[in-house]
Formats: sequence, C-alpha cells, structure tokens
Amino acid sequence: MSHNNKSSEMRVTFINPKGGTQTVMGEVGESIMRCATYHRIPGIIGECGGAMACATCHAYIDEKWAHRLLGKSTQENEMLSGCIDTRWNSRLTCQVRLNEELDGLVIEVPKSQT
Amino acid sequence: MDALAPLLPEVDFAYDEVTDLHELIQKLRPHGPVVRVKYLGAPVWAIIDHAELNQAFNDLEHFDPGDGYRIISAPSMGNTLQTMQGEEHRVSRASVAAPFLPASVRGYVERMIEPIAHELMDRIAGQREVEFVQAFTRPYPFTVITRLLGIPVSDEAMLLEWAVKLIDFPWDPEGALKSKAAFDAYMQGIIDDRRRNPTDDFVSMLVKAEFEGQRLDDERILSLFRLLFPAGSDTTYKNAGSLFACVLSDPEIRAQAMRGGEERAAIATEGLRWQAPTAMLPRMATGDIKLGNAHIKKGDWVLFGITAANRDPKVFPDPDRFDPSRDNRELISFGRGVHFCLGMHLARRELETALRVVFERYPDIRLKPDARIEFVGGVLRGPRALWVQPYGKA
Repeated sequence: MSHNNKSSEMRVTFINPKGGTQTVMGEVGESIMRCATYHRIPGIIGECGGAMACATCHAYIDEKWAHRLLGKSTQENEMLSGCIDTRWNSRLTCQVRLNEELDGLVIEVPKSQT
Repeated sequence: MDALAPLLPEVDFAYDEVTDLHELIQKLRPHGPVVRVKYLGAPVWAIIDHAELNQAFNDLEHFDPGDGYRIISAPSMGNTLQTMQGEEHRVSRASVAAPFLPASVRGYVERMIEPIAHELMDRIAGQREVEFVQAFTRPYPFTVITRLLGIPVSDEAMLLEWAVKLIDFPWDPEGALKSKAAFDAYMQGIIDDRRRNPTDDFVSMLVKAEFEGQRLDDERILSLFRLLFPAGSDTTYKNAGSLFACVLSDPEIRAQAMRGGEERAAIATEGLRWQAPTAMLPRMATGDIKLGNAHIKKGDWVLFGITAANRDPKVFPDPDRFDPSRDNRELISFGRGVHFCLGMHLARRELETALRVVFERYPDIRLKPDARIEFVGGVLRGPRALWVQPYGKA
C-alpha cells in the first residue's frame, strides 16, 4: 500500500480507551482495519487479514459518523454478536471502506482489545 | 542441477524429527521464498517467506485447502470446515462461530479452563519431579474440549483413543473408520439430549444455531466435533509445551509471566510465533501459479511453512530471539483468510490461563537442571518432553 498519494488521503482519528488519540492519514478505498494496522493503532489487529474470520478488529464508529456508513452484512452481525462490549455503533473495521465523505472520521477502540 | 529436486535431500520433513528445523530453514532461505524439500519420501514445495505465505493463505483459487484435506482426512473426518469451499463453507462457519468468539470464550475461562488447570495442578502436588507434557500440557487442552462437549470424566480416556485414531486414516484406514463410527454414535447421544433439553452449553449453542435461515444438521455438528481434537487439542498442547520451555528457561520472561495479564498475553503470542505448533501445513495446489521463484502446478503438494514465515527476518528482526515485547502483528500461526483458525481465541485464553495458574500454584517451579529439551516434528511441533521440579530444587 503506497500511503503517499496525497490527493486520496483523509484524516482518521483513533481514540484509545486508556487515554490519548491518534490522528493518521488513511487512503480512500482501504478499510479502517488496514488503515489502523498500517499505522499500528493499538487494539485493532485484523489477524485474519480482513476475512471476517477473527473478530480482532472490532471498534466503535463515532456516533456522528456511524449512521453515514453502509449497513452490515448478516455475517458481520453474527461475528459482532460474539464480540465483547458491543454497542449500536460497533463495526468490524475490516468491513468499512474509507471514502471522501468520511474525512475526519473518529473511531474508538474497545477497552477489551487494548 | 534439477530445479525440481529437493534441497537437503537427506531430510524428510514428514518422517524425521527435525530437531534442528529452524537451522534447516536458515539453510533453505537463500534459495528463495518457495523451495523444494522432501516430504513423505517425495519432493514437494515449501513456502518459507512471510509475504508469499500470506499471499498463498489468501489465494483460494490456487491454494484451496479442500482438495488436500479431502485426500488426507475426509474419509474419517467427514466434510469438515477444512474441506468445505465457497458458500457452503461461509454458511457453515458462520453457523458454528458463536461459541468460539471472544464473548463466549471469556465465559469459559472462569467456568471451565481455570478449574481444569487447577485440577491438573492438584495431581502433581507433592511430586518433586514431573514430566510436564504428560502431566499438564497434553491433557489440558484435551480436557477443555471434552468438558465443552459435556463428556463425563469417566469417558475421557475412551474419547482420547477414538480422537487419536480418527486422524490416522492415511496409515490405518480401517482403524480410523471404526473409531469414526464409535465416536459418532457416542456424540450423537449428546446431540440428541441437547436437542431435547437445551441448556446454555457449547453443544446446545450449536444445536440452536441459525444463520441466514439455516440450522445445523447432525452431520454438520458431528463433523465439527471430529475436527475439534486435532485442530484444538494437538496444536495447543504442542504450543503450551514450547511456551513453558521458553518461560522456564529465562528468569526475566518468567518474572514477566508472573506480573500480569497483559504480560502473559504478550508472552503467549511470542510463544506462538517462536515455535508455531503447526510448523509446516501440507496443502495441495488447486491451480497453476508462479509464486516467488516457483512454478507450482495444480495437484502439487505444498508445505505452508508457518514456522518459517514466523521467523522471516524481513518481518521479524532477530527472529530467533524470544522477545515478548516485539511487534507481533504479522504473526501467521493461525493462518489467514476465510479458513483462519476458528479456535484462536480459545487457544490464547488457554495459554494465558495456563501461565497464570501454573505460577500461582507453583511459584518456584523450574526446569530439571540436567534435562535436555528437544523440539521435534516438522508438521506438528513441540517439546518431546519437559521435566520440571514443581517446588524448585528437588
């Protein structure tokens, strides 16, 4: 992944439940999980590589942004139902792709994963 | 030289103990990311670099695990998640996933995993010297599975015998099929009981599971149960042995293991990298592909060199060093893609709980000073034996 094409970059902020936020540049078209692992955000692992098979990339999408995302598949819902401390705005971040409208997106990492 | 002839022809990665496996891999590495080695007496490919292995795990067109497993294991194991492909796999996997996801597994720690660890620790009380693989690391994950399945203690030995035979099909087809029949008849009784009287246990979760309007029939549930022992018990016990071998060898790591949960999680992860229990995973190529420097043909056997990729110096600097503080995001011990290990969360909680309970119960436990530790196996890998002194100096 290049991470150097400025025209397709956008800001994504990750909130760590233990304190601190980290704002990074994500690329349009990549998943939030890929963006997080590229920037080594603690608590978002994506160990299966984005196949909805490991449940290690669960995170909360800030309420302001959550309703702007496309709906979840039944498989994502099934996986989320087995994650710890889920909320209405929980997502598997491997299933959410960044686009220009999400510039400034805020993601909170669950406490159970950090 | 014949490009398809095996390098290191004197070594058979299936039959030999390969105590020096990591040294052998170092000799193979200069020859490229995909090399020829000998396995079951014949030359096969082995993918040893991380980038190429990651690519292969995610490439179901050329490396679908189904074809290989249908030959090695399907006659006695049935149509399992390992042999299923495409939509059938997606639906079946989603249907059985719930009891393996973090929320369920967190519940098993207190209710089941921790008490089993304590039971096994009780049994070595008073002994000055113990062989820890037989006394703890082997029975521990096996018992977790039998308890998950609701099998009474009195039947555990019988189940172990069947489970060991089930995967023996290539060497003893008749014995494997006989064990399958006995195992199925026994487990069918438990499934029937939970269909009549569902509780909130593991088997009931599967009996009640529904995904996209589909429910699991008895054969689907039985095929998962058959898979649990080789996939969840053999792997975890090998890795738990390697983990304790490392932790007990190094006073600094041992002190970290006694410190807290985060430290134990990092140590368990490093143990999974340093000596992956599934060292080399055999698969059959399902299409022609050029991977790295190799022209792999459909039908060729290919070893997925998990333990080699976990020590690829391009990804893990100073890879032979056991260092729980390293960045282990690229760990590939549980595979990648849609066939990623379903039991990953369970395995990790078992390893972390083992570290906690063993040091709680025997804070002075140490390796027997003059005992030599040898890691053996090119497919499944762990220590041959691990002699410990639970109370310190014997």
